[in-house]
Amino acid sequence: MTALSHQCLKPRGALYGLWIAALVIAAVAGLYCAYTMEHAGHHITGMTNRVVWGLPHVFAVSLIVAASGALNAASMASVFNVSIYKPYSRCSVALAISLLIGGVMVLVLDLGRPDRLIVAVTHFNFRSVFSWNVFLYTGFLLLCIVYLWFLCERRYQHQIKRIGLAALVWRIMLTTGTGCIFGFLVGRNSLDSALLAPMFIVLSLVTGTAALALCLLAIARSQQNPLPVATVRSLSTLMIWFVAALGYFAIVHHLTNLYVAEHAASERLVLGGSMAALFWIGFVTVGLAGPLLLLMKNLIADTDADYKTQKRRLQFASAAALIGGASLVYVIIIGSQVSAQRLFPGKTVLASSFGDVGNASYQPSLWEWGLGFGGVAVGLLIFQLLLRLFPFTADRQHS
Amino acid sequence: MKLGLVIDLDTCVGCHACAVACKQWNASGTSGPLTDYDPYGGEPSGVWFNRIRNYEVDTYPNNKTINTPMSCMHCEDAACVTVCPTGASYKREEDGIVLVDQDKCMGCNYCAWACPYGARELDRESGTMKKCTLCVDRIYDEELPEAERQPACVLTCPTHARFFGDFDDPDSAVSTMVRERGGYAMMPEVGYQPTNKYLPPRTKPVVETHAEKPPQSNAGGTEKPLSQIQRWIAQQLARQS
Repeated sequence: MTALSHQCLKPRGALYGLWIAALVIAAVAGLYCAYTMEHAGHHITGMTNRVVWGLPHVFAVSLIVAASGALNAASMASVFNVSIYKPYSRCSVALAISLLIGGVMVLVLDLGRPDRLIVAVTHFNFRSVFSWNVFLYTGFLLLCIVYLWFLCERRYQHQIKRIGLAALVWRIMLTTGTGCIFGFLVGRNSLDSALLAPMFIVLSLVTGTAALALCLLAIARSQQNPLPVATVRSLSTLMIWFVAALGYFAIVHHLTNLYVAEHAASERLVLGGSMAALFWIGFVTVGLAGPLLLLMKNLIADTDADYKTQKRRLQFASAAALIGGASLVYVIIIGSQVSAQRLFPGKTVLASSFGDVGNASYQPSLWEWGLGFGGVAVGLLIFQLLLRLFPFTADRQHS
Repeated sequence: MKLGLVIDLDTCVGCHACAVACKQWNASGTSGPLTDYDPYGGEPSGVWFNRIRNYEVDTYPNNKTINTPMSCMHCEDAACVTVCPTGASYKREEDGIVLVDQDKCMGCNYCAWACPYGARELDRESGTMKKCTLCVDRIYDEELPEAERQPACVLTCPTHARFFGDFDDPDSAVSTMVRERGGYAMMPEVGYQPTNKYLPPRTKPVVETHAEKPPQSNAGGTEKPLSQIQRWIAQQLARQS
């Protein structure tokens, strides 16, 4: 193997220009949506008194969780000394930073009063898990910046393992914290589970690795510098393990919910009610079965398959895993809110003149879609910018 | 002090007067305005601190509809206070009222997730979270006659189903009522120790209905039961014979 060298991204072709233009349009549209929602109030969205976290939160949580997982390649290289991922360490950390900024941006702009963000960073209630997350997000961002700096500086090479380990521990804390935001809600039947924390960790591994794989494939294409077969196969193996683990946690979570009688109603909503299509098609079929089948084929069925086919399978499997991950987050966030609250246990609730008994409904508005995709676009634009400005892309010779 | 409400489910008729009075008072109070959305449209909604739900107990012919007004329970260990990241939601030490500082609330809405009673009200216009204040701007207002220093919902209730008082005082009317009538807290299993209490409906005398009567048929020759006088006459006649 030649000495590891990096360069700035120098994309070629009109396709790249179109891609950047599309991202800029999506980012501007997202900011405009946020401005409109802030100006007119959240009543123009699909949010109601019962569904207080809408589609933007699904995007935000998905992006933040993926940011944590995007650090996988760097952790593998720095902490576990897997040399195959060393060329992608910088890229991995840069993607983690970008996705986190995109996710936090959506989260902040979806607040009822985003202008009061200063209150969130000057007044802390340390009993609140939400408050811990403010520290976890900012800490992660700072750690990643230092990590990147150390990765780029030859004189700090001996410190990389330490900072890599710190980042690994921190990102596990971050996803645990994000899972706990939901797991600590004992008043919600479908949540209120310690399993949500590890499930979010595994979800981060799936979506983060998928996002990184897609980015690496896109960079390789734009640089006309294909990813080594070994890297494609290694990413495929990782994805298989992560997707299988996510499936395991999802099964255990839903089975335990079914076992507890008081959770049965909310489980019916997910497994056979208004969330069923998204759960069974979006998460189970597209997010679990799809990637598993494609990647298993990559590894087992035809090991001699040509490089292009293997690459395409990894590409489709990663995209499917991202869709599946977002579907799962939607089912968790929206599903638990539309599910009827158990206000009178053991009683048949007849009605409320306020129309707030039984399962609620939620229809995301265009403003929410706009803000969500805007956050993704901002994240990807930051990633592009970092790659263009700094030598984070592995050099051709190394491949 | 531990201020709170007692709601008598036996006498509440679900007239919504409490909800309307609450909205009227608080719309111009410290938490106001309480925004309405699409008020004249097909699906009007808005911010209501007090919502009335009803549920059915037992089955016909012993069934009964219970009207249950629900507002903030001013919990001892309020989940909304615990989860609020900025401390905008707080519980006052002096009287136990749970309030939202409208200047510190950034509208993250996490408290609405945490409250198992659905008592949090998202004002989608102002972007902040609102809730029952126990009419804190009224109960301490010395400009008002002492009898009127009570929450608007309590004052307006036409059936006197709502009572306001100090639960820390064992001799207060609310403590006595809860003690004597078996008052209970809503959903104690979640462990937030709500201050507000509900008095259960009293047991009603069973009203005989046609469905319960044994089938009677004159054709079968079933005799009607004799009255006391008829029985006495029958006894006398039997002796003489």
